[in-house]
Amino acid sequence: MISRFRVLPAYYVFLVVLLYLPLMVLLLFSFNDGTALSFPLRGFTSDWYEGMLANGQLLGAARNSAVVGIGVSTVATVLGTLAAIALVRYKFPGKTLFLMVAVTPLLVPFLILGVALLILFSALDVDRSLLTVGAAHVVVAIPYTVLIVASRLVGFDRNLEEAAYDLGASFPYFLRRVLVPLIAPAMLAAWLVAFTVSFDEFVLASFTIGREPTLPVFIFGQVRFANRFPQVVALASVVMILSLGLVLLAQRLQSAWTRR
Amino acid sequence: MKETGRLSLLALLMLLAVACGGQATTTTTAAVEPDELTVLEWAFYEVPEMWVEFGEANPDTDVVFNFGASDADIYAKILAGSGEDIMHFYTPYLQFYVDEGLIQPIDTTRLTNWSKVPTGFQESCTIDGVVYCIPWDWGFSSVLYRTDQIDAVDSWSALFDEANAGHVSMWDDGPGAVAIGAYVLGADEASITDEQLEEIKQMWIDQKDINLFYWVDEAELEAGFTSGDVWAAYAWNGAYYRLLSAGVPVAYADPAEGRNSWVGQYAISADTDSYNLALEFLDGKLGEQTATHLLVDYAYGHVVPEYFSVVEDENLVTALSLDDPGILDRTNFTVPISQEQHGSYVEMWAEVKAAG
Amino acid sequence: MKGSGVRWALLLPPGLVLLVLFVVPVLMMVVTSFRPDLRGGPFAWGWEPTIEHYQSVIQGGDFLPLLWTSARVALLVSFLACALAYPVAYYLAFRLGRSTALLLTLLIIPFWTSYLLRMIAWKIILGSNGALNSFLSFLGLTDTSAPVLLYSRSAVVVTLIYVWLPFVALPIYAGLLRIDRSLLEAAADLGASRFQAFRKVTLPLSLPGVIAAFVMVFIPTVGEYVAPILVGGTRGALYGNIIEILFGDGINWPLGSALAMLMLVGVFALIVIAARVLRVGRLIEAVER
Repeated sequence: MISRFRVLPAYYVFLVVLLYLPLMVLLLFSFNDGTALSFPLRGFTSDWYEGMLANGQLLGAARNSAVVGIGVSTVATVLGTLAAIALVRYKFPGKTLFLMVAVTPLLVPFLILGVALLILFSALDVDRSLLTVGAAHVVVAIPYTVLIVASRLVGFDRNLEEAAYDLGASFPYFLRRVLVPLIAPAMLAAWLVAFTVSFDEFVLASFTIGREPTLPVFIFGQVRFANRFPQVVALASVVMILSLGLVLLAQRLQSAWTRR
Repeated sequence: MKETGRLSLLALLMLLAVACGGQATTTTTAAVEPDELTVLEWAFYEVPEMWVEFGEANPDTDVVFNFGASDADIYAKILAGSGEDIMHFYTPYLQFYVDEGLIQPIDTTRLTNWSKVPTGFQESCTIDGVVYCIPWDWGFSSVLYRTDQIDAVDSWSALFDEANAGHVSMWDDGPGAVAIGAYVLGADEASITDEQLEEIKQMWIDQKDINLFYWVDEAELEAGFTSGDVWAAYAWNGAYYRLLSAGVPVAYADPAEGRNSWVGQYAISADTDSYNLALEFLDGKLGEQTATHLLVDYAYGHVVPEYFSVVEDENLVTALSLDDPGILDRTNFTVPISQEQHGSYVEMWAEVKAAG
Repeated sequence: MKGSGVRWALLLPPGLVLLVLFVVPVLMMVVTSFRPDLRGGPFAWGWEPTIEHYQSVIQGGDFLPLLWTSARVALLVSFLACALAYPVAYYLAFRLGRSTALLLTLLIIPFWTSYLLRMIAWKIILGSNGALNSFLSFLGLTDTSAPVLLYSRSAVVVTLIYVWLPFVALPIYAGLLRIDRSLLEAAADLGASRFQAFRKVTLPLSLPGVIAAFVMVFIPTVGEYVAPILVGGTRGALYGNIIEILFGDGINWPLGSALAMLMLVGVFALIVIAARVLRVGRLIEAVER
């Protein structure tokens, strides 16, 4: 019995190692004194990091992606939660159709959706900008948020709900104080997935983007050129380290908070 | 706790709004051109070095670059209404833009550098006597090969040679594949019959047995050569130059059928508000400083020959065959094709990909 | 109190967003699939509707078999990804401790790095001179003349599983969370072993999450085209690549849209049939009780 429990954490660690392996390779090359991503390594340099920090465009694109990502995940999580609640707990005509429509963005090739959105925006005379990119990303993030939150909601204990109403709660109160806290972990998971979908998305962004690039769009332009490439690798390493740092920080803050 | 949640959401949305705000372009009356130019470009050409003359003459003009990943991508965006003032595409596509009325004629009398462009290149931009674009960059397509693995290559058929099995890489492009197929078959690139197209398709299906992967961008191809996975490939001279400079033992073929060449062109949108500015931008592209950067930084040819003397790097001279004056006569310049032909070539390629 | 007002408040925001930004563009493309060609641009009128594109695909025999192949690849990837992700989700859902959110996020962070860059690094690891090959040749298992696990359909499958695993863990995790721990305690009290409790209680109750995860992977993977380009080699092309070639390079929007519509209809048909056959609806109801 004990041994079985050690297997699971070991499996998790193995998976994490596998996931971070390419990132470690990138980290290694970000200090490499050479522009080709191949062995043998040539020597240590911090030039790429310096260059990256001085590269206002690169940093701007990263900032844009972060802002769009946060906006998209928040909106998509809210919309997905609303839809999930409706789908799981209520009957209404056209329920299956609604579910199908909510999930279909997964099935339409982004190339086609991107062109169609571009035609739509230009027909409606909407200026393309980070906002239009965000709109496109919300659409393709919704299937994920709906599915993740819905899978938490299925089988939600009605007794809990009835008890709340018996005690005099209104529906909004029930929503805020009972339902949402219970599905909060699922909402977090949905938020993370939606952010990931948006942060690194290239195809839709390339069609709906305005003057300000997002990171994937910017990176695409840099990847092909040897002398620009290492700065991008340096940025990727920084993104990873920053995210890890942020998450660890959040963890510390949360434990400090709950300890009070 | 919930209150702070709602407040932060509000703050986030406001942040988002602020970050995206101020993007609206100003509209102007017809008499005054907006002090801004939008260009639909390939990655890398947005750097100021690629439009030096215009940048120096118009320091206050805002030049905004949007990117396309390929000719088809650029054409699709323009067709869908992305509305840039200037676009950069390569030879076969000129016909499509003209057919759909997406670009307008260029007033070459107002281009100070037009006379420096050789007639051949000028003609690549002329349809029925009207000039629709300026040519800018050009280069070769040929067989790039590792000299330590293969003997000297003198024909495009090296890409079909069983001896190179597992080490060949073809460019992932239907019309490109048709052109090469035409060379090997000895057919006329400009007028391929249906039977010939079937034959070419079968050639490429058979070629799958020896092909390792289809390359999409040069970085991927160069990595393949460097690692030794690829011995022979369809390649542009940029890859040749970079591999030479990196010390990889490669050579660029001068095949019996002739190399292929392509010309990059800039055109002005039919709906632009900034025709005069756009014209100036195009003129600047033909200027000496820009040409120097194109030649030296990116290893592509520039259409104005008098600038070639700036090239000192031996590898670059070799890569551009600047020391071989007769090379252009032996080169097959990509011919304009109709949208139907283009469509059928791409369909052929899809069928090659789908075939087991 | 719980009138239709609530239902509308819930449905309207997502519904409106989906309608304007998704349904309308998709309908535009459906209409385009009946155009003979793109002459006149996207806003042209007066063309004669035709089903020639659908006909050419269905009768052509080149592309539809590839759709079936892509569906099989997607099934394999989804199944393996869910199976391999389940233990991770289980670990996270049942572990005691405060840092679950952290562990969850740790899984996701690699995906905030450019997919392109990670694939380039991945190819370095898998490539001819890469770590994997060097290691294998050191062991004498292979000669270094060809990259193992690269440029093949298997490489596509492995890469896709690798890419989807952390994503798939999340809905499974969400589904496992809602399992009432007291049920497991009851099972233990009744003398069930841990494994029996898992089989009879946890596994069935976690199915909605697993189904959500499966659907989440399966549907986009049918149309996948990036992995085949990066690691698929010469014969790795899937249906998504055909759409991309014809719609993208060929700028043949009518044909490309027709191909996409066929994929859409095909996948939905598959899901509906599978749902009926596996009696998913009843499964979920049983789980709810």
